[in-house]
Amino acid sequence: MPSPQPDSQPLVVTGIGVASGLGHGKDAFRAGLFEGRGVFAPLARPGRQRDDGSPEFFGVEMPDPPAILPRRVERTAGLSGRAAVAVLDEAWREAGLDRIVPERIGLVVGGSNLMAREQFLSLRDYAERLDFLPPRHGHVFLDTDICGLCASQFPIRGFAHTIGAASASGAAAIVAAVEAVRSGRVDACIALGALQDVSALDLQGFRALGALGAGPVCRPMDTGHGGFLYGEACAALVVTRPEHAGSTVYGRVLGTGFCTDGSRGPEPNSDGQVRAAQDALAAAGLTTADIDYVNGHATGTPSGDDAELETLRRLGLGHARVNATKSIIGHGLSAAGTIEAAAVLIQMREGLLHPTLHLEAPLDEAFRWVRGAAQEHRVRHALKLSFGFGGSNVALVFGTPEEETA
Amino acid sequence: MDSDRIAEIIIAEIRSTVPELEAQPITRADSMTDLGVDSIERSEIILATLEAIGLKVPMVQLHGPRNIGELADLLHAKSAA
Repeated sequence: MPSPQPDSQPLVVTGIGVASGLGHGKDAFRAGLFEGRGVFAPLARPGRQRDDGSPEFFGVEMPDPPAILPRRVERTAGLSGRAAVAVLDEAWREAGLDRIVPERIGLVVGGSNLMAREQFLSLRDYAERLDFLPPRHGHVFLDTDICGLCASQFPIRGFAHTIGAASASGAAAIVAAVEAVRSGRVDACIALGALQDVSALDLQGFRALGALGAGPVCRPMDTGHGGFLYGEACAALVVTRPEHAGSTVYGRVLGTGFCTDGSRGPEPNSDGQVRAAQDALAAAGLTTADIDYVNGHATGTPSGDDAELETLRRLGLGHARVNATKSIIGHGLSAAGTIEAAAVLIQMREGLLHPTLHLEAPLDEAFRWVRGAAQEHRVRHALKLSFGFGGSNVALVFGTPEEETA
Repeated sequence: MDSDRIAEIIIAEIRSTVPELEAQPITRADSMTDLGVDSIERSEIILATLEAIGLKVPMVQLHGPRNIGELADLLHAKSAA
């Protein structure tokens, strides 16, 4: 349900940390997005290929996360945990969270079944010697180990939990963080889209569903689209009331919408997507006419792109600029909604929109796609869409740090 | 394999589990608790040692030793049994 009244004092995003195939940190992210750097390649991390002569899985893998943890902790943390600590460290410092008492800081980690690749490798490595499985496996296989790891390294003492909504998990984490701050439960809440560390088993499942693209090019919203490509990603956004913000405010969270549409599997549902967007707009006290930029879910799957275009048409967003971050960094699954929200806020701040890579023959020429090169654009109100298998639809409306008069 | 060799394996596993102890002298007389090894790390170290010496015994049978030397003696006795 939308809020009955627009929030008189919208919350703000005051710290961002990002990790993707473009590198670690916002500088690498910003440069790679605006340049439209191509980073897709055959996946090379152990446990990511079938190794039986079948076609390789393509996607994007990130450089090793920076070593922030003490070494005895570092060796117990998987890739998802180390990436989470890296983005949290970046966002924490920027937001100046040391100023806020630990009991007033919360953490919502978006994603479920996050560390599947490491479980896949453990099963392979210990199948014949299960008696010697390291005891730590009994707690690190849980997604909530990322919550525990983060709260053991940073003074977060309000709450820390996960939220799952498939590929909308990262956006759902932002919704949960906003609700936690708005309700007064905490003064600052970190929404962290965790790295979904997929195994060859998961990738084969996506391939069998017909959702995964083949080859090194992902073409969201293009007639040549053939499925999504996986991309390792992780991002953290710090949400606070304006009075608790640090020195950098990226933007205001004006409204959120999060609904389920009754789909069980991967099938998209435009009705649910439209409803989520309308809820977010109503909460923001805005109409689609006020939206001047849309960051699509835009995965590159034929059915997903078609349903989303129908949604954009029904909402009447033909006037807004539209781009697809997944064309550059791939599909971060659990992290997608968070890192793409980070992309929205960074583009808004820079007054520059990144290109949609490989968008040569748009499915619908009537939309104002950002193609070719980065384009200057003053964004006042942005709509971020994020959808997940199992019928989850999330929409987020962001505004500039200060309300602008038209 | 004698008890001293088992103690060497335990010490090597301690250093790999807690890299912060890499440069610290560790002898049979030291206890893992005094070295700051926590309980999960201790279990990991003992399991890795058991695998290295090819011994399968329930962890509950390995309570009691007060230092690395006593643990090595106990593992030596179990492997000789």
